[in-house]
Amino acid sequence: MQDINTKKKGLRLSDTIILLIILGVLVAFFTLINSDFIAYNNISTMLKNMVLTGILALGLTPLMIARGLDISFGSSISLISVVIALLYTVGGVNLWLALIIGVLVGVFVGFINGLLIESFDLIPIILTLGMMAILQALALVLANTFSNTYSILVMTDPLYYFATRTFFKIPYPVLVLIVLVIVYWFILAKTKVGRTIYLIGANPTVAKLSGIKVKKIKILLYTFMGLVTGIGGIIIVAVSGVGMSYHGKNLALPTLSAVLLGGISLMGGSGTVAGTMLGVLIVTVIFNGLSVLNVPSYYIQLFQGLALIIIVAAYEIRNNRAAMN
Amino acid sequence: MANKNTKSFLDTINVFKKNSMTPTLIIVYILMIAIFASVNPLYISLTNIKSILATISISGIMAVGLTTVILTGNFDISVGSTLGIAAIICAKFYNIEGLNLPIGVVILIALLAGAAIGAINGFLVTVVGINSIITTLGTLAIFRGLAYFFATETARIYYKPFIFVGRGYVFNNVPLTLIYFIGLLVLMYLVLRFTKFGRNIYQVGANADAARLAGVSVDRTTFFTFIISGATAAMGGVIMASQLAFAQGEFGLGYEFKILTICVLAGISLAGGRGTLVGVLVATFILGSISNGLALADVPIEWREAFQGLILIVAILIDSIRVRREKLLRA
Repeated sequence: MQDINTKKKGLRLSDTIILLIILGVLVAFFTLINSDFIAYNNISTMLKNMVLTGILALGLTPLMIARGLDISFGSSISLISVVIALLYTVGGVNLWLALIIGVLVGVFVGFINGLLIESFDLIPIILTLGMMAILQALALVLANTFSNTYSILVMTDPLYYFATRTFFKIPYPVLVLIVLVIVYWFILAKTKVGRTIYLIGANPTVAKLSGIKVKKIKILLYTFMGLVTGIGGIIIVAVSGVGMSYHGKNLALPTLSAVLLGGISLMGGSGTVAGTMLGVLIVTVIFNGLSVLNVPSYYIQLFQGLALIIIVAAYEIRNNRAAMN
Repeated sequence: MANKNTKSFLDTINVFKKNSMTPTLIIVYILMIAIFASVNPLYISLTNIKSILATISISGIMAVGLTTVILTGNFDISVGSTLGIAAIICAKFYNIEGLNLPIGVVILIALLAGAAIGAINGFLVTVVGINSIITTLGTLAIFRGLAYFFATETARIYYKPFIFVGRGYVFNNVPLTLIYFIGLLVLMYLVLRFTKFGRNIYQVGANADAARLAGVSVDRTTFFTFIISGATAAMGGVIMASQLAFAQGEFGLGYEFKILTICVLAGISLAGGRGTLVGVLVATFILGSISNGLALADVPIEWREAFQGLILIVAILIDSIRVRREKLLRA
């Protein structure tokens, strides 16, 4: 028994080490090709780019551990950014109220996703695929009806300061990410709720039989995914200065890749916040590296797809080998 | 006696399976036509009916291919990108200087490319063992990227016989594309009902473990359904390129929604193993007519897209309720 346990621990440790080695190799590779890669400017850009993927990946982590999935977050961010911009710029609503309403839109979308999936036993990816179409269309409709453009300017001092100023040399958006990482890590690793989430993912039937309200907790997780999507929406509005109906268009693949790379399995029950953040770092380094190398955008899309497949394939092949042994 | 005989004959044909959604769909369809026609009488004019028939075939053909994949309990959401790349392959191979490939060969290359993409998906799903949605989400991005890469500018194809493939009419009124669609549908219907391969597809979807124990090669069956799906998506690409006489990287963007919606609406259960192509026929007509009707009623394109997402969600809700009711009845 003890033997198996130590073996398992060794395996998990080596997973993290493999990811760290990959990260090191990638950074070395891009630095060799273009020494600007590790310049302060590029690193701070990279960190800012990482914030959005990181926040979304954090929201996905407990959800996917509990065997849920949400791919509508990209369109949801588009919608949230448009709602905030419309309320503030066109509607003249108080900035803070607009931001709160934006976050509430995200929370509501997440709640509806969870409610539908859990009460009708739907396949999460299919429902959120449909939701993605609806939200994207809504963002377009709203932006077109009320302002006749796809992107609406949001010019405010607070958001501009938030996006550009730093707190002890750490940009504010990065600070938000750090706080969220600590919260999620604490909940998943140290609390009873966290253990419950792992149990649900490992075996939903057992979880249900042992008196856990599986559906309620999963709806809650979808709602929290909506909450972080709302926060992501605010950050994208702050950093870009516009609310745009295509803001979230290319978020789904990198985020999913990052989460899966970090060791979360589609079968649920496994994964850690640290793994997810490593995955996010690697994915960010890859895509930032590619854009520092001036790779055209269609290649980036191609690489996003390739990365997703290679990552999942690598894990599958390893698992198959482990199962054979 | 004679009466009894005919009844049993109808029973053996049994085009509408028991518990089928198709009769309901047909009623919905008739109601819908009445509503659209009352909003805009042009809706039931011969010209418009002809244009509906000519445009639904692409999604219909692709839905037939995707149905086989969904019946095995898998998904293929890379069909839109496969369409795009097949269309571009058509245009590029036709335009190679000094080679002058016969148009039949060009079309064949495009179809083979589609089948090859299907084979890649099938390989990743069956041999490597990746979840089919994640696999095809990846290949969707890869082949869309490749499509943009190859089609840095619009590639034209001005060649009458090729354009005839997609725009031609038989007897002046029946679009050729409709004949491809119905032909393929009938062929696949017969394959699914009367061949061993067809029965295997249903078995794999209903219970993969039981199928494996019964000696069905689950992996091989799944692999071939992905090839069928890829090839039909490529057919869609060839037809689209021929109807528009050019090809560009955006072709087929968002088609995965459209095709998935058709299949779900047709009653092809997402859990696998249940549903027939008769439903696909009706669902294709319904969705084609809806988008045409909304366009004629001057509904903006964004609302039409939202409507499509809504239909998808309603259809999967209905699917889940039906599955649940069946489980209750069985218990």
